[in-house]
Amino acid sequence: MTVTGVAGRRPRHVPQSELRSGTRYWVASLVSMMRFDYCRVRQWMPMMILIQTMTGAGMALLYGFFYPHVTEMRALYITTGAPTLALIPLGFVMVPGTVADQKLEGTFDYIWSLPSPRSAQAASAFLLYTLIALPGSVLALVVAAWRYDVHLSISPLLVPAVVLCALMATTVGYGMALAISNPVVTNVVANALMFVVLLFSPIVFPASQLPAWLAEVHYVLPFYNMAVVIRAGLTSGVVANVATSFAVLAAWTVAGCAATAWVVGRRR
Amino acid sequence: MTTPEVLPAAVIVPPETVERGLKRWYHDYTVMVRWHLASLRMWLVTMTIVQLLSGVGFVLGISLFFVHIPTSAALFVSTGVPVVNLLIVGMVLGPQLVANQRTNGSYDYLRSMPVTRSVTAAAWYTVCLIGGLPAMVVALAVAKLRYDLPLHVSPMIVPAVLLTSFAGTMLGYALGHAIANPMATRLITQLLVFVVFGFAPVLFPVSQMPRWLGTLNWWLPFRHMAVVTRAALTPGGHAAVISAYIVLAVWTIVCAALAGRALGRRA
Repeated sequence: MTVTGVAGRRPRHVPQSELRSGTRYWVASLVSMMRFDYCRVRQWMPMMILIQTMTGAGMALLYGFFYPHVTEMRALYITTGAPTLALIPLGFVMVPGTVADQKLEGTFDYIWSLPSPRSAQAASAFLLYTLIALPGSVLALVVAAWRYDVHLSISPLLVPAVVLCALMATTVGYGMALAISNPVVTNVVANALMFVVLLFSPIVFPASQLPAWLAEVHYVLPFYNMAVVIRAGLTSGVVANVATSFAVLAAWTVAGCAATAWVVGRRR
Repeated sequence: MTTPEVLPAAVIVPPETVERGLKRWYHDYTVMVRWHLASLRMWLVTMTIVQLLSGVGFVLGISLFFVHIPTSAALFVSTGVPVVNLLIVGMVLGPQLVANQRTNGSYDYLRSMPVTRSVTAAAWYTVCLIGGLPAMVVALAVAKLRYDLPLHVSPMIVPAVLLTSFAGTMLGYALGHAIANPMATRLITQLLVFVVFGFAPVLFPVSQMPRWLGTLNWWLPFRHMAVVTRAALTPGGHAAVISAYIVLAVWTIVCAALAGRALGRRA
């Protein structure tokens, strides 16, 4: 029989005799957290995918208007840049915005109080946003390819490239939003980033058009490398040094996870 | 000396007549402009800096799109950025400010002020003009230095800028006051930014977009704003200026009427 109180009644809060841990428990936590997160974002998920598709495809069309003549090479660059253009707003604006809102609403206080490992909670958010990011970027590519009528040679490399880019954008956006404590600052950073990225990043044009110093900065930042790996999966012989770009993206993903772990791991 | 019984009654007696006339209007107008400038000083300063950076950034950044930027492309962007600067304040940031005021409750307070609708609108227009002009001038100066453009500023710049800003501000005013949901206001204005930057021939010639989109844009104000502003900044004759002024004037009247209606509606 279980422990009984002095008056013969069962106490209401019996602490668990042992802490639950281990891989099985972690995976079970991940699954329930994903269900929890999915139910929370379900109502505005179609909206998010729609906005993302529209911004990605819209920007791909918009860049074309700026050129007097869209040559075959330019069209190829713009089309293969479209998935990157769709991923950046999601990862660097929508995810930080959602995190900032959740901070204001106190959602994190609630989530962190749940009896599941915080690493499983963060992993659930990363996986969910990565999954949400995929349809929009594929749709943006389809629209751009239809508009510019370019010939793409799709290789299996595209799958890891898009998944890694989506994961990188999500983790970095999430980590950034968590690490910056003031939501207003997060919002300003996200919007400024958007402007700088869309105007000064070699996503829809070759990096050789940039001044040398700016190109070197972009070799380290994630945006150019996102465009490189996705372009490598869609074309043959257009880009080089794909392995380096994969490595840079992986490093950024790790950095995003580390920033998240640093904030999430502290007790409050 | 007045007796204590008489004093409270005397204090709350309303004025015998409602004050009207040009002098009163001007007085209310200056007070409202000062009110806005004082209450929005932080917002105005931040916004001007952001506008300066984005305007100059756009003028400089566009050259990265090309191996060698053609003079015509540089000219189009440089003379289009001022239009974007003027529009962003009145049409995008204005409604967003109203949306914020609705959220934090100061909207109802501002509406309770004893001034006429025309004063409210005129004061807001003046503030938007003050917010948009510095970025416009600096972006043009940077463009001139960077690309060595054949700019020629004619006196027509005054009506062009005044009308462009007025149409944009009234459009934003109508949006901000007619749409009650702050979230919807934010979404619509962000969509408008997208349209002005990429889907209206403001920063590039209309010939570079599909024909149907160009035709659609003839019915919208943005293309005409760019035409009148560009005509006042570049030398030579411009064919479509008169029709552009007419279309713009129609839009201005419609938007002002809508804004007036939205302002006058009782909550």
